[in-house]
Amino acid sequence: MTLSLVLQAIFAGVTNGIVYAFVGMGLSAIFKGSRVINAMQGEFAVIGAMTTVLLLTKSGWPYPAAIAGGVLAGALVGAFIEVAFVRYMAKKNASEDSFLLLTIGLALTLSASILFFIGRDGHLLPPIGGEGVLLVLDAVIQFHALWLIAIGIGATLLLRAFCHRTTVGLSMMAASIDADGAATTGINVGRMRTYTFILGGLLGALGGILVTPLISVDYTLGLNLTLKGFAAAVLGGLTNPLGAAVGGITLGLVESLAIIGISSSYKDVVAFSVLIIIMILMPNGILGRAGRRGG
Amino acid sequence: MLEVTSVSAGYGALTVLNDISLKVDDGEAVALVGANGAGKTTLVRTICGLLRARSGRIVKNGTDVTSAPPHDLARHGLAVVLENRRLFGELSVRENLVLAETVGRKVRRGNMRFTWDEVTALFPVVKERLDSPVELLSGGQQQMVAIARALLLQPDLLIMDEPSTGLAPKVVKDILLVIKALRERGMGLLLIEQNVGIAAEITDRAYVMAVGSIVHEVGPGEWQSFLKDERLIRAYLG
Repeated sequence: MTLSLVLQAIFAGVTNGIVYAFVGMGLSAIFKGSRVINAMQGEFAVIGAMTTVLLLTKSGWPYPAAIAGGVLAGALVGAFIEVAFVRYMAKKNASEDSFLLLTIGLALTLSASILFFIGRDGHLLPPIGGEGVLLVLDAVIQFHALWLIAIGIGATLLLRAFCHRTTVGLSMMAASIDADGAATTGINVGRMRTYTFILGGLLGALGGILVTPLISVDYTLGLNLTLKGFAAAVLGGLTNPLGAAVGGITLGLVESLAIIGISSSYKDVVAFSVLIIIMILMPNGILGRAGRRGG
Repeated sequence: MLEVTSVSAGYGALTVLNDISLKVDDGEAVALVGANGAGKTTLVRTICGLLRARSGRIVKNGTDVTSAPPHDLARHGLAVVLENRRLFGELSVRENLVLAETVGRKVRRGNMRFTWDEVTALFPVVKERLDSPVELLSGGQQQMVAIARALLLQPDLLIMDEPSTGLAPKVVKDILLVIKALRERGMGLLLIEQNVGIAAEITDRAYVMAVGSIVHEVGPGEWQSFLKDERLIRAYLG
């Protein structure tokens, strides 16, 4: 195992990890804001990526506008799911199990709809920043991966600033911490829950768009991303979107190092075995008890 | 003025409040006393819109607020310090207060009854700990943050549910001093309290609750005779 191979694995791990982080942050934001475990979080990624592909290839939109359209599509689907289903079920005091079943059903429905309307073919988006690569000690890094890392870090910092420096972000946090306390402080708790779904949809879609130049997107991608995003969120403490970012990068790195250490066939087995060990040793997530707090 | 007329409410099949009526005039301080399980907190939750009244009316300053959502309370000049304070523990003191101040500014359109400086001056300890996460504060300090947060909603009537529970006597004394100062500024008060001694010290009159109903009223100037009446105290307050 050479240094350049390890370096290559680390870059690949961070790149994949940031995609998992986006899905995990969205999942965590929705769980924190509504106590719904969103089993269709990976589908937001597929919606964002597919919308961008269609706007770019079928409608001829410029790439940045198509990306914006893809992100918007994720956000709108998030809002729709909250308003059409979650809000109604919450009024009826539905249990957490019912919400889980709802989102599993929606994930399968969306996946089937994509298969029906768009087909089973995979689609790729052009890399952001062009096809160029950077060589670091013989390790090859695509420009797109650098963009992905930069956007990932930027989005995480923006999310942190949004949560703590804007009234809407603070209100969303307050509503998720104590709904009654928030309501009697003049915060419309129902509206904040809609916003968390919009945020979850937006983050998931952005993750999907950023990964599509690296992995082709098709109707099956959602489930895989949901599982990875869920692992990332649990690793980070589940109720802390920023913890999910750390969890995503950890997962990506473990997975990537498993490939060079053992075999790509066993990467998921090794990665999830390591994650199980981490969770046994650190049951509150890799950030500890503090990871269960904050945004 | 707050007027609750013939209100009934409950949870599921259980009816907790039966035909409750009470009134708090502008600037008046009224206590609601009763033993554990009398329904005091359920009444507070119903007035605040956290629990829907099954029948009856709740009117604030002439507006029917029976079906108003809880986030509209401040618009009607009402603020509540719920039992157990219900602060946002992960957020800092400042963040807790900023949220209320933002709502208060919208409600009063800048014509504030309580400015940030006035509120933090009332609670020096709050001012000192503005950047601390609320969950790291003591129970007494949290109670002060909860009252400060309620005041920044710019109410003319403050509802306080068991503000003295679990607090050291010195802290209770400090909080009572603040409540007295608020009363001097004309703030109306509905105090829900198990400790009748505290209720008698800061309110003009009281309603006594037992098993979901108002069973007795203590009128203005009647606190002392009520406190001396062991039969009534035993019967209603345990």
